[in-house]
Amino acid sequence: MKQLLLSILGCCSLLAGAQQVTVVKQERLLQGVEGPAYYPVLDRTGARLLFASGVEYGLKLYDMNTGAVTPVSNERCAGIDATFGNDGNVYYVGQKINENNLIYRTGYKFDVNKASIDIVLEAQHGAVTHAVGTRGVAMRGPRKNYASARNIGTAVDVQGSNLLITVNGKQHSYSPVESYAGYLWPSLSPDGTKVLFFAAGAGAFVTDLNGKVLASLGNYEMPCWYNNDYVVAQNATDDGHQFTSSQIMLLKADGTFRHELTKSTSMSMQPTSAAGKIVYTTVDGLLYVMEISIND
Amino acid sequence: MKKNILSFAFMLLAAVFGVSRAMAQEVPHVYINPGHGGHDSDDRNVVIPPFAQGDTLGFWESNSNLWKGFALKEILTKKGYQTSISRISNTTADDLALSTIVYLSNHSGADVFYSIHSNASGSGGATLVNFPMGFYRGYTGQPVIPRAADLLGALAPYIIDNSSTVWSSPNYAIYGDWTFRPEWGTQGYGVLRGNNIPAILDEGSFHDYYPEAYRLINHEYCWVEGWSFSLGADAYFGRLDQYGLGMITGTIRDDRVERVDILRMLGADKRLPVNEAEVKLKDADGNVLQTYKCDTIRNGIYLFKYVEPGTYTVEVSHPKYFSQSTQVQVTANAKTYQNFDLKRVRDTPPMVVEYSPRWSEGDDPVLCSTPIVLQFNWDMDTESVEEAFELEPAVEGTIKWEDTNYRLIFTPDDAYDVDTDYKLTLKKTAKHGGGIEMEEDFVLNFRTTSRNHINKLAMFPEEGDQVHYKAGAYVEFRSDSLLNAKDLYTFFHIYDKDGNDVEINKRNIKNNKKGDAYGYIRLSLLKALNPDEQYKVVVDKGVSDTVGIHLAEPLTFNFTAVDASAQTTEANVVEEFESADGFSAAPSEVDGLTASVSANTDKLFGSKSLQLSYTFPDDEENEAVVNVDKTLETTFSSLDKIHLHIMGDMSFNHLNLLFTGESRAVVSVPVADLTFHGWRHVSMPLTALPEGDKYQLTGISLVKNETVMGRTGAIRLDNLLVEKPVGVEEVTANSTVKVMPNPASDYVVATADGYITGIELINASGQVLVRNASNYINVSDIPAGVYFVRVYTGEMVTTRKVAVAH
Repeated sequence: MKQLLLSILGCCSLLAGAQQVTVVKQERLLQGVEGPAYYPVLDRTGARLLFASGVEYGLKLYDMNTGAVTPVSNERCAGIDATFGNDGNVYYVGQKINENNLIYRTGYKFDVNKASIDIVLEAQHGAVTHAVGTRGVAMRGPRKNYASARNIGTAVDVQGSNLLITVNGKQHSYSPVESYAGYLWPSLSPDGTKVLFFAAGAGAFVTDLNGKVLASLGNYEMPCWYNNDYVVAQNATDDGHQFTSSQIMLLKADGTFRHELTKSTSMSMQPTSAAGKIVYTTVDGLLYVMEISIND
Repeated sequence: MKKNILSFAFMLLAAVFGVSRAMAQEVPHVYINPGHGGHDSDDRNVVIPPFAQGDTLGFWESNSNLWKGFALKEILTKKGYQTSISRISNTTADDLALSTIVYLSNHSGADVFYSIHSNASGSGGATLVNFPMGFYRGYTGQPVIPRAADLLGALAPYIIDNSSTVWSSPNYAIYGDWTFRPEWGTQGYGVLRGNNIPAILDEGSFHDYYPEAYRLINHEYCWVEGWSFSLGADAYFGRLDQYGLGMITGTIRDDRVERVDILRMLGADKRLPVNEAEVKLKDADGNVLQTYKCDTIRNGIYLFKYVEPGTYTVEVSHPKYFSQSTQVQVTANAKTYQNFDLKRVRDTPPMVVEYSPRWSEGDDPVLCSTPIVLQFNWDMDTESVEEAFELEPAVEGTIKWEDTNYRLIFTPDDAYDVDTDYKLTLKKTAKHGGGIEMEEDFVLNFRTTSRNHINKLAMFPEEGDQVHYKAGAYVEFRSDSLLNAKDLYTFFHIYDKDGNDVEINKRNIKNNKKGDAYGYIRLSLLKALNPDEQYKVVVDKGVSDTVGIHLAEPLTFNFTAVDASAQTTEANVVEEFESADGFSAAPSEVDGLTASVSANTDKLFGSKSLQLSYTFPDDEENEAVVNVDKTLETTFSSLDKIHLHIMGDMSFNHLNLLFTGESRAVVSVPVADLTFHGWRHVSMPLTALPEGDKYQLTGISLVKNETVMGRTGAIRLDNLLVEKPVGVEEVTANSTVKVMPNPASDYVVATADGYITGIELINASGQVLVRNASNYINVSDIPAGVYFVRVYTGEMVTTRKVAVAH
């Protein structure tokens, strides 16, 4: 039955092309160990996984080799926007609501080896975001910033409808696609030569490091790099209130090929990918890992 | 000193700059999400006149949500907030996906998230429900982010205090989305899941409550909801005292005229909203500060934005209404509601300007169902008019008002009496909506016709009838006048023994049409009935003819479902009617009388039946004859009983079989009056045949009935059987035994020269029905028919034929 499913999925290419995609592995993760898990993030080795745990989205770290699950933060919503730095440590944003109901956000670093937490960016009111560079990590707030290194190398971030590309520590701002609501989900290709981002109302795009659009991938949310040539993303629909379908897509970064890795009825979402693995969750928080082969 | 002064100035400047910079950074940031978008499949369109379905100028939830969002952004900006909004136009591309909205909110640095919506009952039409609801993520009372409950609690009072609308419930309903949508588990609303700040989704009102839909088309009404959101934000962030302007809004309605363009309304919404009223805001010196012209979209909404606190006069004028003005108090950062109920200008006395029926002596009488219609020059005060309405002789009836109370219609509940002079007086105490009475009484006279109810001409099934059980059985009602065919079938109800509806085939309904000789409706049952079970047809009193005359009382007809083929006895089949060979229509000398025979596949037995089609030229008692050209193997006698299966056509014509004896005398034996539809088993003793002769079946005769029914039609015949008196000896002729009376109705009594030891009543099949060790039998419960009586006297048995009649 499982083989049949994999065969069917392997046939779901939506654009003509020579590529043949086969799902070679698809397994449930943390079954019977964890409750609902959302917002998974793989590290670059594909060995460790961050996820938001439970309905309050606390942050946990899962070692896929040993099976160990380490709580990182029980702070509510800490798991929604966490990331691995280039140093393998975990960076995330915590928040506190003060007596005037203003939200103050703090940048944290979780040292994976020491299992210790450090504040790297003091609490401040307003948006705090992070960008992972090839040499370091930056966290940015309205009044204070943090960088793990003087030169974080090549990195990408977004601010409103601006794509912020840092090369050799020097940041440039680009607006290659029109979008009133703003840009989301920026990421750098594994080889550090291309930028992937999503423009609200316009879709996912790939640019070079000068902000020049190389490809338009379509209206797929939460795109992330599978490798230097392919991207995985979420294809969801809704009725304005709740999701009505959601699936994981494989997209060629030049925009010439797309392929359904899961069915639209699977309600699979929030993909992350590294080292040949694809991890995603479902609308009710079930984590899956998938491995595929692409015959170009 | 100079250096100290400069240092102080520098420090002061730095302090002021620093503080202002800090304040600028720490103003509340509100993320605004106007729900839906794009006028597409996940949008919500309510079709209300004059807008057609899909008209983007009509009600779309994406429109009103966006206008509310724009207003909130504008107002919060004036109040010094930082804002973000997820869309600024209404296209499918701007209708962002849920994950996108949540990401944008999370990365905006906002302190709160408002998703702005309106609600729908999901009824698919107009609802009578209208109240606001709000949701946070989690279970009710247990929000995932506790401050979300505070945010919603701060908003609720400013939504529910909306006095321009009419609520069906006085409370703002607060739910956790997991509680409200338990079928979604902990998925909840898509813009709340994963949203890491206090986030709420507000359903401000019900847009399928049609008066609300009209209001939500008005931009200013939506602006007020934006203002309400801003007050909720101020309350949440403790900033209610930080804004100095207020506003005035309200709804302008007619003080008494009810709106008729929509049907389901609550409270004050039942009254007509005034379009195009002009509203002026005046200061204490009478200076006009703002002017507002109400729109034409049937909501009566007006608004004055950003008004300095103080006392003002709001003045409303409209060419068709008396102007009104009132003093209002405006408070900083609050809402001032002031509704107006305008009185129409009605400056002349009311009078009847048109009426019906118009009748004068010498005119034709008026139909007994004719409504009385009075058209006035003003919209009337219904209560005083109805009190002033006097009809002599008195008639029970119903008064209905139309045209926003300009027109009264009186309809008798039943009908006027026949051949009666009526006088309607509308006393001058009748007033219009402005309170002025009529100058004089209005009087109307009319005389009625001699007919006030329709009469049943015929019905199948009649009370006690039998109906062949197969699907497609007909039910037909006929009346002495043509029936009003509109929705006529809805007045007919067929029930099974348990009172359940028996479904009719709505594709197979036949109604009378213009030119028909009588009124009728013929229904066809969709499914088969259960043989031997009881059913009934109920005809509502409301069945009316083309001039509105209806039945005097409802009618009920009980009937039994039967299997016409199962009722056949073990008698011998003598003709199967499988072919028309051997049958021919006899020529007729009557002009216009035609008859034909053919085989038909609609049969009860075998594969065919014999169809006799006919047309009579008029309603005279003419006869159509089919000759039986072949000779049946069986002969018939007066002792025989025949069984024939007939598919009737409810023509009320008379079916006879023609027998010819050895003496060549032709005897016509009545078989059935064709008062029924469908197959029926008919049995008939051939007692009409003179005794002692043998007969051949030589013809089938159809005689036109004397009514207007049955001029043309077709009947079918299937299996003819004959039942010989098997088991019954020939009637003993040379015996002294006598049986009396004949025919008998109560007792059959035998007399004999000898002692009678017993007596039996035997049917044509030889079955003993009653046995008595005496000389009499009680036949009062025996069905009418021909029987045999067997009388035992000593060792002798005597048989006599006797008829039972009641």
